[in-house]
Amino acid sequence: MALKSAIRNLRENPQLLFVRLPNILSFLCVVVGVVWLLLLPLNDYSRQTYISENALLPGQVHAYFTGSEQNIFRGYKKELQALIQEGRENGPQNPEVESTPAITNKIYSILQAAGLKVATQKYEYTSAGIGYQGENVYGIIHAPRGDATEAIVLVAAWKTADDELNLNGVTLALTLARYFKRWSLWSKDIIFVFPPDSKTGTQAWIDAYHDLHPASVQPLPLKSGALQGALVIEYPFENHFHTLHIVYDGVNGQLPNLDLFNTAVAIAGGQMGIGANLQEMWQHDDSYRDRLKTILRGMTKQGLGYATGAHSSFMPYHIDAITLQPKGEGWEDEMALGRTIESLCRSLNNLLEHLHQSFFFYLLMQSNRFVSIGTYLPSAMLIAGNFTIMAIALWMRTGYYSDSKPSVPAGSEGPKSKSEKQSDSVVQKDVAETKTVGSAVAERVLALPLSLVSGLHLLGLVPLWTFNTIFHQYFTAATYIFVVVDIVLPLILAALLSNGLGIARPIVPQQYLLIKSFALLLLGLSLSTLATLNFSLSFMIGLLCAPLSFITRIQGPAAVRYPISILGLALLNLLSPPAVLIGICWYTGVPIETVLTQAAFGWDVWGMWTQVVVWCVWWPAWLIGCVLLGSSMF
Amino acid sequence: MALLLRLLQALALLLFVGAATAEHTSNWAVLVSTSRFWFNYRHLANVLSLYRTVKRLGIPDSQIILMLPDDMACNPRNAFPGTVYSNADRAVDLYGDNIEVDYRGYEVTVENFIRLLTDRLDEDVPRSKRLGSDAGSNVLVYMTGHGGDQFLKFQDAEEIGAWDLADAFGQMWEKKRYHELLFMIDTCQANTMYTHFYSPNIVATGSSELDQSSYSHHADNDVGVAVIDRWTYYVLEFLETQVTSANSKLTLGDLFDSYDMSKIHSQPGVRWDLFPGGEQEGRLRTVVDFFGNVQNVEIENANSTDPGSLKEDLAEIARLVEKWRKRDEEYSAIIGNSSQSQGEDTHSSTVQLKSKKPVGPTKMAEDSSWGKRLVGLSVVGACTAVWVAGSILGQSA
Repeated sequence: MALKSAIRNLRENPQLLFVRLPNILSFLCVVVGVVWLLLLPLNDYSRQTYISENALLPGQVHAYFTGSEQNIFRGYKKELQALIQEGRENGPQNPEVESTPAITNKIYSILQAAGLKVATQKYEYTSAGIGYQGENVYGIIHAPRGDATEAIVLVAAWKTADDELNLNGVTLALTLARYFKRWSLWSKDIIFVFPPDSKTGTQAWIDAYHDLHPASVQPLPLKSGALQGALVIEYPFENHFHTLHIVYDGVNGQLPNLDLFNTAVAIAGGQMGIGANLQEMWQHDDSYRDRLKTILRGMTKQGLGYATGAHSSFMPYHIDAITLQPKGEGWEDEMALGRTIESLCRSLNNLLEHLHQSFFFYLLMQSNRFVSIGTYLPSAMLIAGNFTIMAIALWMRTGYYSDSKPSVPAGSEGPKSKSEKQSDSVVQKDVAETKTVGSAVAERVLALPLSLVSGLHLLGLVPLWTFNTIFHQYFTAATYIFVVVDIVLPLILAALLSNGLGIARPIVPQQYLLIKSFALLLLGLSLSTLATLNFSLSFMIGLLCAPLSFITRIQGPAAVRYPISILGLALLNLLSPPAVLIGICWYTGVPIETVLTQAAFGWDVWGMWTQVVVWCVWWPAWLIGCVLLGSSMF
Repeated sequence: MALLLRLLQALALLLFVGAATAEHTSNWAVLVSTSRFWFNYRHLANVLSLYRTVKRLGIPDSQIILMLPDDMACNPRNAFPGTVYSNADRAVDLYGDNIEVDYRGYEVTVENFIRLLTDRLDEDVPRSKRLGSDAGSNVLVYMTGHGGDQFLKFQDAEEIGAWDLADAFGQMWEKKRYHELLFMIDTCQANTMYTHFYSPNIVATGSSELDQSSYSHHADNDVGVAVIDRWTYYVLEFLETQVTSANSKLTLGDLFDSYDMSKIHSQPGVRWDLFPGGEQEGRLRTVVDFFGNVQNVEIENANSTDPGSLKEDLAEIARLVEKWRKRDEEYSAIIGNSSQSQGEDTHSSTVQLKSKKPVGPTKMAEDSSWGKRLVGLSVVGACTAVWVAGSILGQSA
């Protein structure tokens, strides 16, 4: 009975139902969404990692990569060092800075001497006016008793993801190639790829492997079967290492199967006695703070969606890949890393089908603790849901409120809402005439709101095109220009709307609500869809857009309207996409040009679509919010 | 003669008593692994180990049905191509030189397994794929794989339920396809698999109880996989170290008493209630009754399962004994009549027989012993001469 009367009460109070309740609900959604994320590191909401795939059997084989192989390693390293020395003194290029043809030839001949089938591939990319070119060299060990339908990839780029010379990594891969060639127990082919750098080389190679390469990239003369997994070796220093840093983030926030990560942790920790780190957390005491920090670092990388290493390029092709980076000062040498890789390869060799048992969507908070999508997804979904709730409420409100005072200033609210309440209750009672009363049921004018919202979303293509096409020198200037555009454009649009665009009669208040409703509906729809694909990006954009749910056209005397709307616009402008970019760059100390060059490169080469979300989802929604706030000044 | 007859009588009496105890005429073994894939290496090793044991104890390949769903020996991942080992010491290659796999790869299905047991096979199915057991056969059925509560998975695609298995054995009994059956199973929750058996003369044993896992015993770090399961390992340890020959007198009771839960890490189970005489009788069965091949003489009409048939035969033997005795009496009476005018007791026949003059050994002739010695000496001399001549000739050549 209490519930029934509460519902009746709600029905008879449209002000509460359509204005206050959605605001409260939306706000709750945002708060709960954020709190949800903060709860995840707790023991009750996260889980211990475990190996799901029975076939992997991590660490069950003895690794024999020791002793005499170290002499081979030293030999190969001397040969490469001689080339570096020679190149530094005589060559047109310094191999320490960039791989040279001499290096490529040396790798080629070493692989060939070890008995592998070897081939090279030249490629060229252009992005933001910068040219990237290089030559991949790769060799294939055909499984002596296998059927050549599957393969594992080992990658050692000449330059690491941090642009350091990966001499030990390349040498180790060469030594492993020679060593693996002599085993007869491979069920899959093993491909050793030596790209000149970690950004472009693997991308060109993997694209060409699947025949999806652009014209500027050469096709591969030599191929093997379906790729089952990839390991990237980085060892860019000379001293012995302490722990193994595992990098797993892919382009667009795609992640490798959790089993691969777990196997690497299990083998490094369990079999080899080397600790494993992730997300650059060198000191992890398993406290709430460190767990949350790890999650947030992972979310940042996932949300930005850029490639964190040579392994990232494999992810779009559904090939699970990780990068192994030795870190710290310790007593583990390159042979220990070699044994870890040997054992990992043996585990991957045991696979019978593609890694599929474990999670593809997860947040790691420690090398042995994670939350899966079922636990963390509600967080971003709630935040996306807040927009949808508001959009639906606005839609219904535009249907009910036909009078010209949808939201009344606080002072005069009392009596009017009471009279409305009375008229509404009359309507409720008079069932037969509800439709015809008209004072409570309004006809919606859709043409202008619909075209404005879709038009502004299409307008997002302009910055998208601009920031991915212009030369990198102009990126900084373009960003500042865009900040100005973001300040001016909403005001111009608001003025035009309020003054009837010069052609039609002035816009009615209902249409402002409809514009907001459509904008929020689109935002909520896009973000909840995105949450399933890239949780972190959806979460971040959702948080940045959260104020848009609560801003509205301010009415009342000019003395109140002007200061409030100007203040509101100023605050909103701080949350505009270019302003956020500038803020982050200022905070982290990275030049804007670098970030945007990287972004454009991601768009052109890696197929990254973070920009699409920014310019075609976030920016239009933000713009419409500003227009609504700005319209209160006219 | 009378002594012999008494002996025969005693033997007949013994056989009458013996008719109540087991009497099987052939042994069959059905050894099944139900899982494929490299990481299930141990299941195939389990079965191959048992295969080796039953062969050692005398069951010929023609009476072993071996079902292997995968070929571990030829798996490219195998670091020791062509071999399967069930121990990390790799002392015994189970795949070895002499192995006969009857059902392999995708032939190992629930349907084929049940058809095999119940003999519902096409006419053109070769003899090697048939279980040719009859009412006199002791059958050993060993299964291993991945299972759960009342099911055992076959090759990731299907599973056999506890009722399916019970019905298959039920039909085997109806079709007189076994005399006694020992069912062994090593899988998780194995003991649930034999809960529904209802046909008689079955002893069943499994590795683990409901809600218990069966574990692997140890892994080989070069092969890279676990090589044998715990329960099978300890059953085999008993069979290999204690049951050393086909004449072993160790019983099923000894085998089951050797189960040690602290070693097996799960609770093995035994089911006796289907066996006539229950646990008491069942425990007396020797291990080789099922694992070995004891060939008993097949007497007339043995194929008939009528429990009276053997009795009839024995009664017939007793009648014959009686007949011979009568004839003997008559014969002795005739002899007595001819030699002595007065008829004597039947016991006189023995006296009569004793009185017969025994044939003495013939004496060797001792003549010309020196002559024979001379001949021998000359033969040895000639041989020596030939040898000396030959060696000299050989040297010169």
